[in-house]
Formats: sequence, C-alpha cells, structure tokens
Amino acid sequence: MTNITEKIKLSLSKRQRSEKRFKFLGFIGISFAILFLIIILYSIFSQGQSAFKSTYIELNIFFDEKIIDVEGKRDIEDIKFANFRKIITNSLDNYFPEVEKREEKRKLHEFISSSEEKNLMNLVLSDQELIGKSKQLWLLASSTIDVIHKNPEMEEIVESDRLVDDLELSWFKTFKENGNLKFGFNKNFFSKADSTEPEQAGVLGSMLGSFFTLLITLILSFPIAVAAGVFLEELAPKNRFTDFIEVNINNLAAVPSIIFGLLGLAIFLNVMHLPRSAPIVGGMVLALMTLPTIIIATRASLKAVPPSIREAAIGLGATKFQTVNHHVLPLSMPGILTGTIIGMSQALGESAPLLMIGMVAFIVDIPGSFTDSATVLPVQIYLWKSTAARGFLELTAAGVMVLLTFLILMNGLAVFVRQKFEKKW
Amino acid sequence: MVMSNSIKIKSKKISVFYGDKKALDSINLEIPEKKVTSLIGPSGCGKSTFLRCLNRMNDTIDICRIEGKILIDEKNIYEKGLDPVLLRARIGMVFQKPNPFPKSIFDNVAYGPKIHGIVNSEDELNDLVKDSLKKAGLYNEVKDRLDEPGTSLSGGQQQRLCIARAIAVSPEVILMDEPCSALDPIATAIIEELIDELAKNFTIVIVTHSMQQAARVSQQTAFFHMGNLIEVGKTEEIFSMPKQVKTQDYITGKIG
Repeated sequence: MTNITEKIKLSLSKRQRSEKRFKFLGFIGISFAILFLIIILYSIFSQGQSAFKSTYIELNIFFDEKIIDVEGKRDIEDIKFANFRKIITNSLDNYFPEVEKREEKRKLHEFISSSEEKNLMNLVLSDQELIGKSKQLWLLASSTIDVIHKNPEMEEIVESDRLVDDLELSWFKTFKENGNLKFGFNKNFFSKADSTEPEQAGVLGSMLGSFFTLLITLILSFPIAVAAGVFLEELAPKNRFTDFIEVNINNLAAVPSIIFGLLGLAIFLNVMHLPRSAPIVGGMVLALMTLPTIIIATRASLKAVPPSIREAAIGLGATKFQTVNHHVLPLSMPGILTGTIIGMSQALGESAPLLMIGMVAFIVDIPGSFTDSATVLPVQIYLWKSTAARGFLELTAAGVMVLLTFLILMNGLAVFVRQKFEKKW
Repeated sequence: MVMSNSIKIKSKKISVFYGDKKALDSINLEIPEKKVTSLIGPSGCGKSTFLRCLNRMNDTIDICRIEGKILIDEKNIYEKGLDPVLLRARIGMVFQKPNPFPKSIFDNVAYGPKIHGIVNSEDELNDLVKDSLKKAGLYNEVKDRLDEPGTSLSGGQQQRLCIARAIAVSPEVILMDEPCSALDPIATAIIEELIDELAKNFTIVIVTHSMQQAARVSQQTAFFHMGNLIEVGKTEEIFSMPKQVKTQDYITGKIG
C-alpha cells in the first residue's frame, strides 16, 4: 500500500511540472496575442485620430458685388453661377499683398480647399445682406496645409523633400503667427463620400453603402438559411442525398470569398443584368457567402435543444412543424441570432467579392437606394490606402477605426442577444 | 388470463427492429381498460420500446422498423392512413425525466388543448388547466404562481406538471416511461398515489425498474427479457408465484 503511495508521489511532481509548463505556454500565447492587438490598435489610433480634425484658416472675406451679382438684380441663378473662387483668392491676395508673380499667386490660392466655394455660395444665398460687405471667416485649408499643420516636424525637412516649398512654408508660418490658423472638427469626414481631395473625402458614402448592402444580405440570407437549417436538421430524412448536401454546405463555408464574387459577376451581372456597383448585387453576393455560416449556426443550435423537449411536444400530439415552430426554434433562436450577427460582421469586413462586381468604383455621390452605385467601408479603406496623396494616410486609419467600431458594436450585440434571450431549463 | 374488465389495447405479434437489430420479438399482450399495467424487466429488455410502440413514438426514429399490429379499441394503429398526431392526442405520455416546456406552468398545461383546438374560449381554457392541475394533484401548490416557468418547480412537481399536461387533452390511455426514476422517495410516493387515482379514469401503462413500485401500483404485470415477453399476469400472481423460471430469477434478483 505504501509502495503505491510512493509511486504516486513520484509521478505527481512530474505531472505538476508538465501542468506548469502547459500553463506557461498558454500564458505566452495570450501575451503575444495581446501584444499584437495593442500594436495594431496603437498604430491605427495614433494615425487615425488626426483625421477627425482639420485645419481652418481665418480670412477677411469681401463679398464683392461686382463678382457675385454683376447686374445687381439679386437673382438666385446669377448668384449660384458667380465665381466664388475669385472671392477667396482676392482675400488671400489681400492678406499677402507682396505676392505678385502669377506662379506664386497660384500656389497661394491653393491654400484654401475648393469645397469652400460652395459653402460661401450657400452662405450668401441664405443671407443676401452679406453682398457688398466684409466678414471674418474660418475657411477649410487644403490637405497639404493640413498635413504640414498636423506634422510640425515636416517644417524642418529640406525643401526638396518637403510637401511645400520655402515660400509656401513662410506663408503658412505667417498665418500661424498671426493666429489665423486653427484645428476644427472634420465635418466632411462624416458627411461626405469619397473625393480626390483628402480634406473633402468622407466615410458617410461608404457607411451607407455598407448599410444598404448588409440590409440586403440580412433580408436574403437569414430566412433562407434558417429555413434550410431547420429543414435539414428537423424534417429531412437522413439519407445519402442529405449527407451530400450537408458536406457541401460545410465546404461552402470554407470557400474563398472571392469565388462568390466571381459567381455574382457571372450570374447577377452578366446573366441577370442587374446594375453594376450596386448594393443590391453586393448584398446578394454577400448573402451567398453568409448562408453557410448561418445554416451551420442554425443546425448547431437546433441540435443543442434537448430531445426531451421534442418528445414532450410530439407525445402531446404536436405535428413536426408545431414542435419545431413552438418549441425548438424559439429555444435555439439565441444561437441562431448570434451566428447571424457573426456572419453579418464577417460580411461587413468583406471586400474581395465586392471588387468583382464593381463596388470598387470611385463614387463621389452618397448612395440613396439599393440600386445606386456605392462602395463599402473596407473597399473605401482599400481605395484610400492605394491613393498617393499624403492626406489619405490618416483617412485610411480613421476608416479602419470606423469599421472596427461597427464590428465591435455588432459583436457586442451578439453577446447581448445571447445573454438576454437564452432560456434556462 | 382472465380479467373482469374489457381489453383496451391488444398487441399482436409486434416486432421492432433498430436497423438490423431486433429489439422486440413478436409480442402478444393485452392491456385491460382503466387498470394499471406495469412492464418490468432488466435494462435493454425492450419494455420501453414496447411502450413507445403504443403511441407510435418510435416513428420519429429513422432506423426503426415495426412489424405486427396494435389494436386499440379493436382498431390497428399502424394501419395506413392513420394519423399518428390523432393517435398521440388519444394516448398521452409521461417521460422518464420531467420535461416541462421552458414556459409558464399555465402554458405548459394549456399547450395540448390549444394545438388540438379542444377549447373554444379563454374561460374554458382556464377551467381546463385548473381542472388538469387538480387531477394531477398539483393545483394547490402552484395556484398562486401559474405564470412562473414550469422549470422552476421541483422534480416531483415538474413530473406532476407533465402528467397534468398529458391529461389536459383527455387521453384514453396514459403511457409512463419510468416516471419516478429521477425522483426522491417522497415525490415517488406522491406520484404513485396519483397513479392509483388516475386509474379510475384512464388506462395506464407504466414502465418501471422498481419491482416494489410495480407491485404497489399495478393490477397487471408483464415481464420482458431480451426482447421477449416472458410472462404476463395479475401482479400479485407474478410476484408471489411466477410460472416461468426467468421471472422467478428476476424478481428474486438473480438476473437483471
């Protein structure tokens, strides 16, 4: 008897060592995961946060009647077609009267974003009293100035490597010293779609594009996938044919998403002639991709419902459909919904299949319906990343932040749904 | 075998196969009306399988195949065209593990009447639920909390809730598959009393592991062994002077 105890004691220290080793390995793994998460988040946030502010320059704007309303009739159509660019450039010229060369003036005029022309027009249209008067206004600076303002270390770089030349830098410093330069909230980022000018580009267009696309995906994939899952799990006879279908659904879940994009291109665009670049087609393609995920989640949650519940209902004389509809399906709903939300957040982050159906186009207009040309958040990030202008760098990071926010919200919703609706028995 | 009562269920040469395996071999058994018949035997002897043939619960198992006839009131329930849904409304079932729906106590009992369209009004339903709970001896314990989940009850109460749920559709027969195996002795005693009471109105078939229980509650006992019906008779005769050696061995604890 004591002999056995001795043997157990001997093996015990070995077993405890291996347990410690296992714990240590797990700890290393988790540490690596957390380290990389922190690195990724830090690089995104440190770059992206500056995209939420933009540089504004204060100028004394003279609403010259000779430019805005030559005929003096206060005709709205006349005002709309007035040359507001000239108003802005005049006030810039007044600020720096010493600049006379045409080439230099052209450079100076590019300090202010072209989007301000429209803003000034709207200002005049809303208050025609302004015509003939002067007003101090903060105008959005162009992206180049914004980049210099956000990165002061750039001022020290040699001229040939710098975004702006010495002359432009001196004007910039003058504005700064006079207190006519400030940071303000980047309104364009949340109210505009894509643009060739970084300071005018926004994420709203692609956000709405993603919204329309995901709505189509949800409407199509949820009912079809739940119906398919219920049929396969509860109603279909178990035979070779249903086994074959099951294997194929599991395989489909592992098919690279770009394949679904090619399928969409071949069928939805080339055979069905649906509109190119439209959320409706994007949604259909992503629905194909999401279907297997939701079907598998549905079947797993149906399987998790204890058979005793089914027996109780059937024993009472409920039909198969009543059993599923009244008892099994409601009990498995939390699992199905969780699977659906996971599938949807997968679809939200998907870009490859959408490239195939033309959702990668440069689209300046904010989409208003399912058939408008649109792009989606991940594709917008990809587009910005592949654009050369320096100002798009931080927009890319900010776009990632917006996308991550939505993903976290959706996953949070999945956790909430699971905890809120899960019934205990 | 002579029984004073009329026969409710007749099983004629019932054989059951799970795939290639024969689970029941040509069972002939008669079950008297408004009496308690208990099915006893060691694990895997086929007594539960036989019970589940009586309301065609085995239909839900894909690989299960059944041969032979079961006559209830002289009508074969395996006849083509007979809807098992209707059959299961006439033959209630109580399972081994209490399995109330994760709904309120009221909804548990009301579910059967609702799906079969038995009641016409809310009041009628309320009365029926109350009445069923009373018959199951549960009403006094739960009358103040009918909207609480059925799963919040104790095991014995849950099982009586399941009995109330079964009798709410006014079945003719109640099948019980080891209804007390998950319960403590006190809850078991309550259920056994209830079975006595229910036998006045229902034909009851009960599968049990406990020979004492069979002796206490049933008037007729059938002993199954390895898919065969070895012996059937009045309960007191089976337990006091069994005719077969195997029965003798089982009740004295030599096999099982």
